[in-house]
Amino acid sequence: MSNNKYKILVVDDEKNILSLISTVLDTSGYQTVTATGCGIAEMLFSSHHPDLVILDLGLPDKDGLTFIEWVRKTSITPVIVLSARNSEADKIAALDLGANDYVTKPFGTGELLARIRAALRAGHTASDGNTQSGDKLVISELVIDYPARSVYLGNREIRFTQTEYNIVAFLAENAGKMMTYSSIIKAVWGESTDPGSIKKLQVNMANIRKKLGLKPGEQSYIVNELNVGYRMRNTR
Amino acid sequence: MNKRSKYLSDALFSLLVMSLAFALNMLIQYIFSIQTLIPMIFVFGVFLISFRTESYLFGFSASLLSVLLVNFAFSFPYFRFDLFTPELLLSAVIMLIISFLTCMVTKKLSVTEKEKAENEKEQLRANLLRAVSHDLRTPLTTIYGSCSAMIENFSSLTEPQLLKLLSEVKQDSEWLMRMVENLLSITKVGTGNVSINKFDVVLEELIDSVILNFNKRYPEQKVSVEIPDEFISIGMDALLIEQVIINLLENAVFHAKGMTKLILRVRVSGKDAVFEVIDNGCGIPKDKLSSIFGGVLSGAETPADGRRNNMGIGLTVCSAIIAAHGGQVFARNSQNGGAVFGFTLKIAEITDEQ
Repeated sequence: MSNNKYKILVVDDEKNILSLISTVLDTSGYQTVTATGCGIAEMLFSSHHPDLVILDLGLPDKDGLTFIEWVRKTSITPVIVLSARNSEADKIAALDLGANDYVTKPFGTGELLARIRAALRAGHTASDGNTQSGDKLVISELVIDYPARSVYLGNREIRFTQTEYNIVAFLAENAGKMMTYSSIIKAVWGESTDPGSIKKLQVNMANIRKKLGLKPGEQSYIVNELNVGYRMRNTR
Repeated sequence: MNKRSKYLSDALFSLLVMSLAFALNMLIQYIFSIQTLIPMIFVFGVFLISFRTESYLFGFSASLLSVLLVNFAFSFPYFRFDLFTPELLLSAVIMLIISFLTCMVTKKLSVTEKEKAENEKEQLRANLLRAVSHDLRTPLTTIYGSCSAMIENFSSLTEPQLLKLLSEVKQDSEWLMRMVENLLSITKVGTGNVSINKFDVVLEELIDSVILNFNKRYPEQKVSVEIPDEFISIGMDALLIEQVIINLLENAVFHAKGMTKLILRVRVSGKDAVFEVIDNGCGIPKDKLSSIFGGVLSGAETPADGRRNNMGIGLTVCSAIIAAHGGQVFARNSQNGGAVFGFTLKIAEITDEQ
């Protein structure tokens, strides 16, 4: 029975937060393993092979960032950082090391569960190749046809420029995962990040939003994380 | 960098004053051929220099220089140092003492001025702290009390009772969360000379993020957004500015009685972006209008058990954050009822989209 439940490793040194998260995860049908430090977390990760990791950064033995690095050496298991550090630099550091998402404390349990679902789905997309019928990626109304390099919203084709298409396709391939400016710029232009290239990306994103008809404040396909990056939603 | 240029301008100023004093003395000596005025004019120069400049160095070197100049140029034998005539030596020493003392006293005066400003800041902080710690007690009482009650009487409480207590705990912890966010921001900008981290942020993305976060807290409150079509980017600390806008929206939710429409509008005025939160509620009472952004820090008018001081703190935080960005906050009543709260920020770049 419990075999088809997702197994989640939760790492935090606060007992109360561990208990809160495992209760919430339990009632939502996940199986949880908890650790209070990096050392134990590494051991449990190797023995339990969790489907996802929820990770606090301020751990007593080592910084959580080193744990992300350690996980990424051997596996693509999604890692969601759950931290009280809320500066852009902290987020970028964790994401560039390979974390999938970053949730700041204090957090709402609904929000956390949504991010977990998104990350688990993203993990699947990555390991099974593309979802749906191989060449196409469907996110709600948005359809990306890779061989034809075209994008549809409902039945309407959206006319993107080369660059805009590349950005949308890259975000869609990584749907559910927060992508930093530097990772997008590297994938689309193949260059390293400077203020000029970030501006270029932002201008292209503004055009993409306009063409998709996205209005500020509406829950839509692309989420802004100011000064950090963008995330394509894979859940509605 | 800044310190260096201040140093340079201080040095220039000192040099200017000393040359002026010297020229004036030459003139006086030429016209009246008397010397009684000369040391006084130099001492006055030293006074000016000590008052204006930051380092003791300038005042002291100016006083030393004046003594040398008096000895050199304005006492017999002219244009020659003579440190061996006892009379001249004595007058030089006396003048040195007087000008040193002038320098020191003046310095002390300007330091006290600085201390006063520091004290005022300290006073503000103390008032804020007092208001806040008072305000923290009420929600903590609810949270602590409700939780203990639920644990002790768990089996005897009915489900609706439990839900009611729990939702109150949730409300009050949300309130605490906002308060803590505000306090963190105040400590980030309120300490004066701390420079904030500015990055160029795209206006549309900022507003998107603000509205999503606001809707998470107030799902039932609709906000209409009116922003320009151009690509506008503004240098700011995005987390702080986001908080300012959310505080202003929240302020409308709590205080604009009878509000049916809440608008977040951004317009371009010259080189500024003007952010406005417009409601059609009850407006701002006239007597509060002038002090509304500094409400808490004035330390007055805190009712002993007033609950909604958070909003006063919220607006104070707004003005501190905007001031740290070099912008302006404003509040006014609109002609057809309701209030407008807003602020301005410098635009970094604006381009018409193709």
